[in-house]
Amino acid sequence: MHMADALLAPPVAAVMYAASATVAGVSIYKLKKEEKLGDEPTFKRLTTMAALVFAGQMINYTIPGTGSSGHLCGGMMLTALLGPWAGFLSMIVILAIQCLFFADGGLLALGANVWNMAFYGCFVGYFLIYRPIMQSKLLASKGNNAANRVKIILASVLGCIITLQLGAFSVVLETQLSGITELPFKAFVMLMQPIHLAIGLIEGLITSAVLIFVNETRPELIKDIKLGDGEKQKGSVKAVLLTLTAVVLIVGGGISLLASSNPDGLEWALFGNKDAGYAENMALDEENFGVESGASEKAEAIQEKTSFLPDYAFSFDAENPAGTTVSGIVGSAMVAGVAALVCLAGGFFRKKAKKAEESNK
Amino acid sequence: MNKAQKAGAEIKAVEALAQGNSPVHRLSPLSKLAMTLAYIIVTVSFNKYDFSALIVMLLFPVIGYQLSLIPLRTCFYKLRIVLPLVCAVGIFNPFFDKEIMLRIGSLGISGGVISMLTLMMKGVFSLMMSFLLVATTPVDELCRGLRKIHFPKTLVSLLLLTFRYVSVMLDEVAVMTDAYHLRAPGQKGIRFSAWGTFLGQLVLRSSDRANEIYSAMLLRGFTGDFDYSPPKKYSRLSPLIALILISLFIAARLFNVISLFGRLK
Amino acid sequence: MIRFENVCVSYEKGDAPVLDSLSFEIKAGESVGLIGSNGAGKSTLLKAMTGLISHEGRITVCGLTLDKQNLAEIRRKTGYVMQNSDNQMFMPRVIDDMIFGPVNYGMSREDAVEAAGEALATLGAENLADKYNHKLSGGEKRLAAIATVLAMKPQIMLFDEPSSALDPKNRRNLIGIIKSLPETKIIATHDLDFVLDTCDRVILLSGGIIAADGKTDEILKDKALLESNNLELPLSLTQRG
Repeated sequence: MHMADALLAPPVAAVMYAASATVAGVSIYKLKKEEKLGDEPTFKRLTTMAALVFAGQMINYTIPGTGSSGHLCGGMMLTALLGPWAGFLSMIVILAIQCLFFADGGLLALGANVWNMAFYGCFVGYFLIYRPIMQSKLLASKGNNAANRVKIILASVLGCIITLQLGAFSVVLETQLSGITELPFKAFVMLMQPIHLAIGLIEGLITSAVLIFVNETRPELIKDIKLGDGEKQKGSVKAVLLTLTAVVLIVGGGISLLASSNPDGLEWALFGNKDAGYAENMALDEENFGVESGASEKAEAIQEKTSFLPDYAFSFDAENPAGTTVSGIVGSAMVAGVAALVCLAGGFFRKKAKKAEESNK
Repeated sequence: MNKAQKAGAEIKAVEALAQGNSPVHRLSPLSKLAMTLAYIIVTVSFNKYDFSALIVMLLFPVIGYQLSLIPLRTCFYKLRIVLPLVCAVGIFNPFFDKEIMLRIGSLGISGGVISMLTLMMKGVFSLMMSFLLVATTPVDELCRGLRKIHFPKTLVSLLLLTFRYVSVMLDEVAVMTDAYHLRAPGQKGIRFSAWGTFLGQLVLRSSDRANEIYSAMLLRGFTGDFDYSPPKKYSRLSPLIALILISLFIAARLFNVISLFGRLK
Repeated sequence: MIRFENVCVSYEKGDAPVLDSLSFEIKAGESVGLIGSNGAGKSTLLKAMTGLISHEGRITVCGLTLDKQNLAEIRRKTGYVMQNSDNQMFMPRVIDDMIFGPVNYGMSREDAVEAAGEALATLGAENLADKYNHKLSGGEKRLAAIATVLAMKPQIMLFDEPSSALDPKNRRNLIGIIKSLPETKIIATHDLDFVLDTCDRVILLSGGIIAADGKTDEILKDKALLESNNLELPLSLTQRG
């Protein structure tokens, strides 16, 4: 489910970054507060658990009845073991390491990936599914052990399925908003959701198996396990609602802002709209780039003056897109040639350096 | 080698590359991060039919790899994870977008094919550049850079510590998987009845371990900050170089260099 | 230097105590072997002494009573070398780990680097400074862990199973190093040969109480005493005798 950089338009990526960053900020704040209240220090368990889930992803699980095997993502498990705030932060860390070292996901897509895979599992999954089920008095008459088992299975399977569905749906939404695929929205949804139903079920089963084992050997490691204990959770519900509202506002506002400035949808409006200036379209990155908004117009003026074949050049508009004619093909070939030359030269110097090193020895 | 060992080896290989000493390695981490992000943003922002204009972006990573002496093949090995997803999304384009956009001789190429190719190129290029960043920048240096721009301390410290413990955990998982498979020949993965106990044991073990590590930190006066030490020296020209390169990226986006090249013939 | 007065430790309230009203005193410069079978309470004693677990009774270290106020000062003065070096080293490189402690205790970075260099020189392991922790061999890890503790210039060194997982050569090397350290030392181990080579006094723990306390030679030669506490005579002594 990891989004790649190529599947996201920069504005969508930026909105997702903003949303994830907000939640991360709130999580850090909440954790610091909990620590002040005398809870266990974050560092103590968060880092090892995150590292563990990362490593745990390398374990293959044989799926009964099929020849294939699946593996764990771990969002729900981390939340059950660490609580939602620490769980969210640890997922950020895991996703960052995956993206940096294993090219799973991408730097630009990190915000979206954190949202799709960590936010739903840690917050929606925890507050709306996991905690209510774990704290309910369900099956209380059947004795602690049996009731706990049933509740853990229910909570993890339901939690994983629902949060993965939400995540998959977000992937579809983000890709569509970025105008990446020609695949109609409905078809894309029909493709993604059923696959993630199966993945969610397996994830849920693995998670519950692990949680049951931990609960029966070392129950203090699992949050909210006490039978219908109804611990004082005042204020936290309010905080959650506030956070959720804020996040919905940011995401919704951001997206509608993007959509309204480009009524034709996001279909590569970023650069596709020739009339608007470069920086206006790149509003989010104006400061970083320091590009004057007239730049593209100027560029075009220069282009028109210098161009012998104005029709072939500057194919920004969707009407006449490919813009690839003979000059395009020749140009591409030349770039490929330059790239190959650079590689050859690099290889040559490397060999030379190696030889020099060897002779020094 | 099992999966966990391979993952561990991959991390160690990247870390070893990051220890090199080339012009690219000597650029400051923050400049490189800014450059990488700018490159990716510019690359993915190309029009979906702008295949030919996009190709010029290939030059930047290729030159980067040659300057930094990072072998290109290490990067292509990483592609196996990202490409399938990008392809899965792009593969439908030729079926839905059949309008012919380009003719080479009698061969008509549809917009869908072009947009699919563009998408794949974007995926490959962005990956090449972000891998160049980690292959030339040690993680702790990157974290130090992030702290400089006031990235939250908690997150940076968490990232650094978790990263350190990933190798340790991978070793542990590797040993356990080997032990499992030695006693369960012919099984592809961990069978259903052992799902809970296998990873569960690891959870227990690592939570004990967490306590020990935390004690070790407390004993040496830990108060919540990781003081990174002693800082490496980076080229003072880094911000300038980053600025120039970022301008070049944008220029490549604004002017269709490919057609300019083509017209030189 | 170190004094325990009726110290009790139990992990859970109501559980049987792991340490049961221990009293003893260790003088400056002494090198004490803390022996006992697995689960006798050796590690617990070291942890109680550094305030990692709470205790009842009174522990005095360097003239300071172990309480919340003195905790930081006492931890600075005691260097604790853990059983598993992997758990002790959490920074990327050895040098980072070595200056972590001193800088936390207010030393300037330059001084800390210098102290780290001295500590490594004491151990003859200058080459380790720039190495990455996860790439070290078992023996190097142990040396690096000791170096990180030495860099804090402690007055007391605590070792928890220092000889575990070391090959004979590294073990011999470590014995030489521990002997050369001038600090007060407590070495918790069930490797009695190691104690024989490094300690002049032995405290034998059994089931949370002190079963014997005296000169190394006397206790380690007392076959009946050792066997009644689930220990065996040191190998070197059985061969001789």
